[in-house]
Amino acid sequence: MKKFAPTVNAVLLVISIVLALSLGATHIDHFWSALIHPGSNEILWQIRIPRVFAAVLVGAALGIAGLMAQGACNNALAEPAILGTSAGASFAAVIGVLFGVVQVGSLGAIALGAIGALFATALTFKLASLRSNLSSFALIIVGIAVSASLTAIVGIATTMVTRADARSISFWNFGSLSLITNGNLIGLCAITIIGGAIAWRVAPALDLLSLGDSTAFHLGVDVRKTRIVALIALSILAGGAVSSVGTIAFLGLAAPHIARFVYGPAHRFLIIQSALIGSTLLLLADTAARTIAQPNELPIGLVTSLLGAPILIALVVRRNTTWRTP
Amino acid sequence: MITIDEITIVRDGRQIIEEFSEKIPAGSITVIIGPNGCGKSTLLAAIAGDIVPSKGTITIGEVHPARTSARTLAGVRAMAMQTQFFTLGFTVRQIIEMAGAPFQVMEQLHLTQIADRHVTTLSGGESARVAIAQAIAQNAPVLLLDEPLAAQDVDSRLRIIDVLKKLAENGTTIVVVAHSSEVDLTWADKVIKNFA
Repeated sequence: MKKFAPTVNAVLLVISIVLALSLGATHIDHFWSALIHPGSNEILWQIRIPRVFAAVLVGAALGIAGLMAQGACNNALAEPAILGTSAGASFAAVIGVLFGVVQVGSLGAIALGAIGALFATALTFKLASLRSNLSSFALIIVGIAVSASLTAIVGIATTMVTRADARSISFWNFGSLSLITNGNLIGLCAITIIGGAIAWRVAPALDLLSLGDSTAFHLGVDVRKTRIVALIALSILAGGAVSSVGTIAFLGLAAPHIARFVYGPAHRFLIIQSALIGSTLLLLADTAARTIAQPNELPIGLVTSLLGAPILIALVVRRNTTWRTP
Repeated sequence: MITIDEITIVRDGRQIIEEFSEKIPAGSITVIIGPNGCGKSTLLAAIAGDIVPSKGTITIGEVHPARTSARTLAGVRAMAMQTQFFTLGFTVRQIIEMAGAPFQVMEQLHLTQIADRHVTTLSGGESARVAIAQAIAQNAPVLLLDEPLAAQDVDSRLRIIDVLKKLAENGTTIVVVAHSSEVDLTWADKVIKNFA
């Protein structure tokens, strides 16, 4: 059964894509015909397809970002939101948008988001290791504090601004794929490929890092460099995703854990599976978010939490040999 | 040969080792013994390159561990820590494969029966044996082991000692830290005590 699991995962993603394209506020007549004739249906080709592909890319990016966070910190709780990465990206992108330097979803906003993410993550690591060696406890506490500070500044900044688009910035900041256009896909595609490639390269060293810093060093790993490279991948992936669609909760934590429970701990394999699971979860969550309470749209973070949490709880309850904490 | 030349190690303001010198011959088993807190593990960590001495130098052949990259050092020395905690559920075989070919050493240390078990489910003694097996599989000319016999039953101790003897016969330089309660050290070529 385990042998076929990766294929099942890919098939599930394809089914989710078709489901997401076919469901929505407006019924699409002759769906299959419209799907194979580009441009034939405006709602399908201008709204749903960009949104669905954005969900696939963002889900993959956040899934791999979570894996990088957990691998670099050797900590089951690490994820972009907890290390301050998401808040850093959000902070940089929102400030950039509010000051008119970049536009929401633009390549500039993505670059700014990645830089903000890197800065915030580096700040968390620096502060957590100021007085002693890096500990998981210090990392999580400092990460939560950095995240809370940056989120507060973003909240104050968006509230004080009276510009017409402030509401959409605020809405985006809570996570939404509703503002995605075809133009955003290039940037999202770029960050997923670049971040994924860096993650692929550093993955074998993360396997060794799971044995602890000392043992990894004894086996030939440059621990500091490995951690920096993983955090660069994390920042590019999470920063790019957050600056395009806002902060989407839980996905970065849940996708790698679900993948690990099903497929085991080897990081290279997990990159592909975390990406597939992240994409599928986000697609299903976005489809539910825009169809359950029509004509209103639910914040996507709420749905990803509702969808991912029971799966994660079920897996943890079923078997617990995948991750052990000291 | 490992040459320790007048090293002093200070950690957290406390002087742990003071101007200590020693030569450890190649292809031998050297055991470092002493009471808790005397600096045995610190000395081993300094030879491994984990700790840089405040004064003095350590060389393994021509290599200075403190000034050598992790990758190069991994080809010169291997080390098994006193306690190895496994966070992720790799199998025993996968853990040993991270360092090198697993088959021979798994057989020697009686790990073949648990080769497909997740390391997160192992007992303390089994975890320690997996860590030792991983260090041996690294196939480095110098093997450093911190209290490898501490968590083992009698059979496992004898098996580990037997493996170490064979490795030394084949030219591996082995340095073992042992607690002073180890009474039978006849398997060692050299014993270092009261060094700090």
